[in-house]
Amino acid sequence: MPALSPSIPALRDAFGDVIERALVSCGDTIAYVRRDRAHDVLAWLKDTPGQEFDYLTDLTAVEYRDPERPLEVVYQLRSLARRADLRIKVALDREEPLEVRSVYDLWRGADWLEREVYDMFGIVFQGHPDLRRILMWDTYVEGHPLRKDFPLRGHFSRAEQTRQALAANPEAHYSLEELSIAEAFHELPRDMRERLRRGERGFVR
Amino acid sequence: MLQPYIPILLLIAFVVANAILILGLSHLLSTYRRTPVKLAPYESGMPTLGDARERFSVKFYLVAMLFIIFDIETVFLFPWAVAFAQLRPLAGVLILEAAVFVAVLAVGYVYIWKRGALQWD
Amino acid sequence: MGLTGPAVRRPREELASVSAMSPNWITTRLDFLTNWARANSLWPMPFGTACCAIEFMATAASRFDLARFGMERMSFSPRQADVLICAGRLPFKLAPVIRRIWDQMPQPKWCISMGACASTGGIFDNYSMVQGIDTIIPVDVYVPGCPPRPEGLMYGILLLQKKIKGESFTDDSLREERPVGPDGLYLPPDRVDELSEPFGNSISQTRSA
Repeated sequence: MPALSPSIPALRDAFGDVIERALVSCGDTIAYVRRDRAHDVLAWLKDTPGQEFDYLTDLTAVEYRDPERPLEVVYQLRSLARRADLRIKVALDREEPLEVRSVYDLWRGADWLEREVYDMFGIVFQGHPDLRRILMWDTYVEGHPLRKDFPLRGHFSRAEQTRQALAANPEAHYSLEELSIAEAFHELPRDMRERLRRGERGFVR
Repeated sequence: MLQPYIPILLLIAFVVANAILILGLSHLLSTYRRTPVKLAPYESGMPTLGDARERFSVKFYLVAMLFIIFDIETVFLFPWAVAFAQLRPLAGVLILEAAVFVAVLAVGYVYIWKRGALQWD
Repeated sequence: MGLTGPAVRRPREELASVSAMSPNWITTRLDFLTNWARANSLWPMPFGTACCAIEFMATAASRFDLARFGMERMSFSPRQADVLICAGRLPFKLAPVIRRIWDQMPQPKWCISMGACASTGGIFDNYSMVQGIDTIIPVDVYVPGCPPRPEGLMYGILLLQKKIKGESFTDDSLREERPVGPDGLYLPPDRVDELSEPFGNSISQTRSA
């Protein structure tokens, strides 16, 4: 069997049995981490000299077809200086609330990645500054599409989906930062600033 | 006295009448099918965000103003040149007068240059 | 959200009497002239979302020139466009956008649904894709293909030209605006469901819990 990444013995030394198990799959090292200490493990991996996993390549989630297996949040880490990869998986029991601590404070790129996982799986990231849907529209009520109990075509009829889609206003809930008006906000005319502050969006005369 | 200008006036009158005729006919003969959404401003299919009234940078006004001043200076030099041709004996005085005029404006030019009014940013 | 509302129209006395007339030589000659002008100068609004947009660009390029059909000038503003060419799949999130753009196009306007995804949802029979833009806007010509060959798209455009040449300017029903109704739908719900029904291989794909 190909060798485990050298980070694994270091992790075991630092965290003991928080690291549930580690294996190698297709040349990639995967470490399963307990949910309650996941953020500490990731922070240790990012900040410790010798580990320095400063790049979060991807943050996603998996639900397997077998209903016995838990959901897993997958963190794909990379150390740019050492050119090393590591995959951390956090298993989430379906019986308990699907929550895990956000890594937004460690890697800013986790912002939208965690929003996508929330949108598609319903996993809540505690501590995320702006956790809302990103791929589906904000007021989407059908559920979380990539869950296995979500039917391929959605829960509602096509007519109902069309009606809800036509009624959704995709821009209504955008933050000012996303609209790139934040930097220029103080230069806007006063009445426009007031309207934006009140949350007013477009109107049809 | 106004004889040579009659063709131009006729042309202007014809152009104006033509424009009014075309716009008026299309207004009278057309059907309007206005809906509230159709009249809304186009913003790539999204509801509009604020209006289009933005504050202009004052740089444009500054450039326009400076242009006018130096353009008028040039305009004044044209009749001076014509008069110069007709007043040959007074050549020295005329050149001196024009030099004083240009010098006054040149002082103004150096002033705005040093003040940075010609810098775009 | 502003998509509903009556179409305000001021019928002209002359046009009302003309449309009550039976077709005669003058109206047919005028029809011929109007339709010839409209058909040969269609300015498309390319609503390209995906792969079909690339094929549309290829059709407009030099090898399969679209300019020779009068479609030289692509209009990316609906205000100056005659035909909306929806090239590519349409997610539900983009549905209000295309509806609004269609509403903002002035009459006369037509729509070409290019490709399988715009016509029926294509291979994407799932929770996020509109199963055919005809559930949202009225379509005149459907061009099948994934993506259609440039020759296929040109055939569709020529079909549209033929359709335009068969119209009459006295027929007001052709130029009627049909905005989204107060229930938020353009077609009645059972019609939307009927148009979106799975067919072919999709019938076997019923993945659910």
